[in-house]
Amino acid sequence: MKKFLLAALLLAATASQAAHHEMGHMHSHEGHVHDTMVDGQKLSVDAERFDNFVSAVPGDQIVVISVQGMVCDFCARGIEKTFGKDSSVTKIDVDLASGKVLLAYSPDTEIDRASIEKNILNNGLNTTAIQVVEK
Amino acid sequence: MKAIIFICSLLLASNSMSRPISYVGGHTLMANSGAQTDNIYWHYTPNINYSLGLDYQRDKISGEAFPSARLTYLINRKNTATSQRNLYLKTGIGLDNSTNHFYALAGDWETRRLFAGFSAKQVSGMGYELFEQSVKLGIAPYLGAYGDLHTWLMIESKKDNLDDRRITYPVLRFFKGGALIEVGYHKKTDWDVHLMYRF
Ligand SMILES: [Cu+2]
Repeated sequence: MKKFLLAALLLAATASQAAHHEMGHMHSHEGHVHDTMVDGQKLSVDAERFDNFVSAVPGDQIVVISVQGMVCDFCARGIEKTFGKDSSVTKIDVDLASGKVLLAYSPDTEIDRASIEKNILNNGLNTTAIQVVEK
Repeated sequence: MKAIIFICSLLLASNSMSRPISYVGGHTLMANSGAQTDNIYWHYTPNINYSLGLDYQRDKISGEAFPSARLTYLINRKNTATSQRNLYLKTGIGLDNSTNHFYALAGDWETRRLFAGFSAKQVSGMGYELFEQSVKLGIAPYLGAYGDLHTWLMIESKKDNLDDRRITYPVLRFFKGGALIEVGYHKKTDWDVHLMYRF
């Protein structure tokens, strides 16, 4: 009986997830990329995601971190937890598909690149670029 | 007999090849339930290079308990834009009886789509020696965004020197937020359920 319940649970979970993904594909949120230039470098972030993020925190400073080794949700959660401890961070978004972490800092904060890198490293990941977006 | 049960329980419990080190300050709780044993394992990551943990196992047949302390050390990690590769040294020692111990070399390579892991483990206890090797391969049939339910179809294969026969079996992994569940099935060992929660 226990086995049957478990099997049923697994099946249900897979089926509901498959349905969810079909819906996601109709909106097609992967693909096109923001091509704003920051520090002479292209900002490769999903445009819709970036715009949603920015419009939620008007007036805040936006930092885009390019990260290596970010392959699963444990990485993403760790990053949320680590940066969540910093009270000057007002919003966090992790995009696994592009390997980017978006951070919003309150307007008067001085962005400390070394501490950002350290926080990323404390999650077992490496930073390849930190871009502060001028608005 | 007791020694064999102990060895089997160690094997089952430290079998998982999923993320033995968390972010700095992170806690991980794992629970396993297999044909012979149940266990609970908690570990804490004070530093990016290692994690420390306590494990408590109970044999389902005899009812005996085996508490142990564990250390996992990250030997090497290689991150790229799309992958992470790790090499770990794991060791554990019985809290009741320090002649019970194991050490293992384990590695994994993972992208959002593919997973490959191996483990080679030497278990010693009460005059018994056991060496086990295992490999695990996985594929994610779809790529979910952060926060979605992630699904992995996996296959695991292992062999040890006591029971000189390779067993290979399918494993399903579901992963959402901080929670992971893995279910393996083999007709010899029956169901093996692994739960993991990271906080
Ligand atoms: Cu991860």
